[in-house]
Amino acid sequence: MKNGLLIFLGLFVLAALSWAVVLLAPHRQYGALAPAVDPLDGLQHPYGTSGLANQGRLVYQDLGCVTCHTQQVRHGSADLDRRWGTRPSYARDYVKDGRVFLGSSRLGPDLRNVGARLGDTATPAEYAEWFHKLLYAPGSVGAHKPAHAFLYEVRPIRPGQASAKALHLSGSAAPAAGHEVVPTHRAEALVAYLASLKDTYEYPVEAQVNAPAGKKEGGH
Amino acid sequence: MSSPAHSPEPVERAKNRAEQEQIDATAKWPVLAFLGSGLFWLFVGGVMQLAASIQTHSPGFLAACEWFTHGRLAPAAQNALVYGWGFNAAFAVGLWLMARLSAAALRHGGWLLVAGKFWNVGVLLGVGGILGGWSASYELLEFPRFVVLLLLASYALIGVWMVTTFSVRNTENVYASQWYLFAAAFFFPWLYSIAQVMLFKAPVAGTLQAIVNAWYVDGIYALWFIPLGLAVAYYFLPKLLGRPINLYYTAALGFWWLIAVGVLLSGIRLINAPVPVWVPTLGIAASLLLVLPLIVIGLNLLGTLGRDFGKALASPTLSFVSLSVLSFLLWGGLTIVTSMRGVAAGFQFTLGPSGLDWLALYGCFSLAAFGAANFIVPRLTGREWASPALLKAQFWAAALGLGLFTVASLVGGFGQGALLNNPAITSGELSAALAPWLAARSVALMLLLVSHLAFLLNLVWAVCPINSGKARAAAFAPPPDLKPAAEARS
Repeated sequence: MKNGLLIFLGLFVLAALSWAVVLLAPHRQYGALAPAVDPLDGLQHPYGTSGLANQGRLVYQDLGCVTCHTQQVRHGSADLDRRWGTRPSYARDYVKDGRVFLGSSRLGPDLRNVGARLGDTATPAEYAEWFHKLLYAPGSVGAHKPAHAFLYEVRPIRPGQASAKALHLSGSAAPAAGHEVVPTHRAEALVAYLASLKDTYEYPVEAQVNAPAGKKEGGH
Repeated sequence: MSSPAHSPEPVERAKNRAEQEQIDATAKWPVLAFLGSGLFWLFVGGVMQLAASIQTHSPGFLAACEWFTHGRLAPAAQNALVYGWGFNAAFAVGLWLMARLSAAALRHGGWLLVAGKFWNVGVLLGVGGILGGWSASYELLEFPRFVVLLLLASYALIGVWMVTTFSVRNTENVYASQWYLFAAAFFFPWLYSIAQVMLFKAPVAGTLQAIVNAWYVDGIYALWFIPLGLAVAYYFLPKLLGRPINLYYTAALGFWWLIAVGVLLSGIRLINAPVPVWVPTLGIAASLLLVLPLIVIGLNLLGTLGRDFGKALASPTLSFVSLSVLSFLLWGGLTIVTSMRGVAAGFQFTLGPSGLDWLALYGCFSLAAFGAANFIVPRLTGREWASPALLKAQFWAAALGLGLFTVASLVGGFGQGALLNNPAITSGELSAALAPWLAARSVALMLLLVSHLAFLLNLVWAVCPINSGKARAAAFAPPPDLKPAAEARS
């Protein structure tokens, strides 16, 4: 190979091919994927998250939670047995997400359905308390992860004005006597975001496409 | 031994040497400046990487400080290593190599120095931005948006001289190293600008973002760092061993095939992800096609090395370059194996994939850059390396560190994958089982820091005028004469 121009053209063709095949083709295929509208109640799924949860997504982004947590439940894997979700994740689950945090490392558990991890019986207040404890003092709920205590304010209780938002901590995680641990706005936003993470709706289209093939008539 | 027919006349040799010295003189300050900045980032990034690694087995470490929380420190460290060390080293080695091979002076060194300063300011702002909470949270694209234009503009000012040097070449032939250098110089701005447009300027929705991100990350490793490492290997192995590349006529096939695979490989990062299933399938098919370039490039480079392991180990350049070639082959082989769906199910999301990326960035590229630097710096400064012991320490610490890191990542990764796929294992049991492997990775990163420290000491000793009276002036033995492969074997 002596001709510099030919080398350049060859590389150019490969680069264009790569862009067209790897990026443009999927974009044409499902770049315009929209939320599904339920035929019965007319609601959109996914319908997007609350304003506070959207702020929490920015906190999730800035703290780099994606470094150790994925947000994708794999098809036909142990993820479902781990109860990380009731069904695999579909591309449609993410269309309202803004920035998508699929992630590539599971040093920590998957978080795609962490907003449903305690089951349906737990109240929103119980979820919030659990998330706050996970972030402030992970050991207090048996988790092995870095604490994010900097999202909380430890302050002396003003007489007669104890904060209603203060965490109920016990043991080594409890603050000194006369003090309380109060979440900052960022902590509340992050918790609202985490609580919003649950894909429970079964899309009719995806469920059909991904269902196991039924028994063939007359099969053995 | 060599016959007179193959050795150049003494007059011609002296002329060649004089010409090389002229070219080296034009490259001196830009190359040394890039190398120095690269080493600064190698050190800063290495310390950050070590701290982030300690956090994985002792989560309390530095957790109280928001700037050093693991989610910020780990990507900041990776970005410092990729854009701080990787790119600066690539500029240093790439520019020098391109000037040498094109037999053309490196022109406008002043521009290079200015652009290099801006590049490093960009990296500094980017790494600081991640630590300060402006991360974009896309792998290797975490830098906040305010540094993007700065990086692209500085890259344009640096890359253009690599390409210009190539286009004003005074040689008739275009050598394999030049193809790889040219390809890398061409692909980075393409990858970076498209990823920026599709993720930030006109962001795509949903999991398409993950496809764009995977395409970029794959490109950085397979189309930027690996070609640069191979360019170095194709240059130094024949030059220092005195024999042409084994089966050189196949090198072009290996080159085109490797690049063609590299541009389609990214889907293997999305196996089982919520994307159209053909996306990972295309990546898996591409990874199988890696077999051919691995064989061709392996025959080219290892065939040239032959059985001269003793000679390779004795040379501060060849030792690194040989290890870099082995890392490349290992990277390729493991990429093929771990892309198979059955294997990937137990390998993805573990420590393993980061070990593979490390093999590309550190094994293939950085080791080659160290080897090249060990050759280049004495020729630019005119002074021999001050301490052979430090050179030895640099090599063995790097080799041991890389080996330990790779083994811990792969073995620990497969173990982690098996436990992750077993729903009976709780996350507490998982952390406990993983801790020894994570600790081994920390030890490996410490070894690498020792290697970098040895390199830094030697470089400061060689470049700085302190003690210059005692420093040995370099007396370069002429490179061995090029002999036909058949004769060299006898």
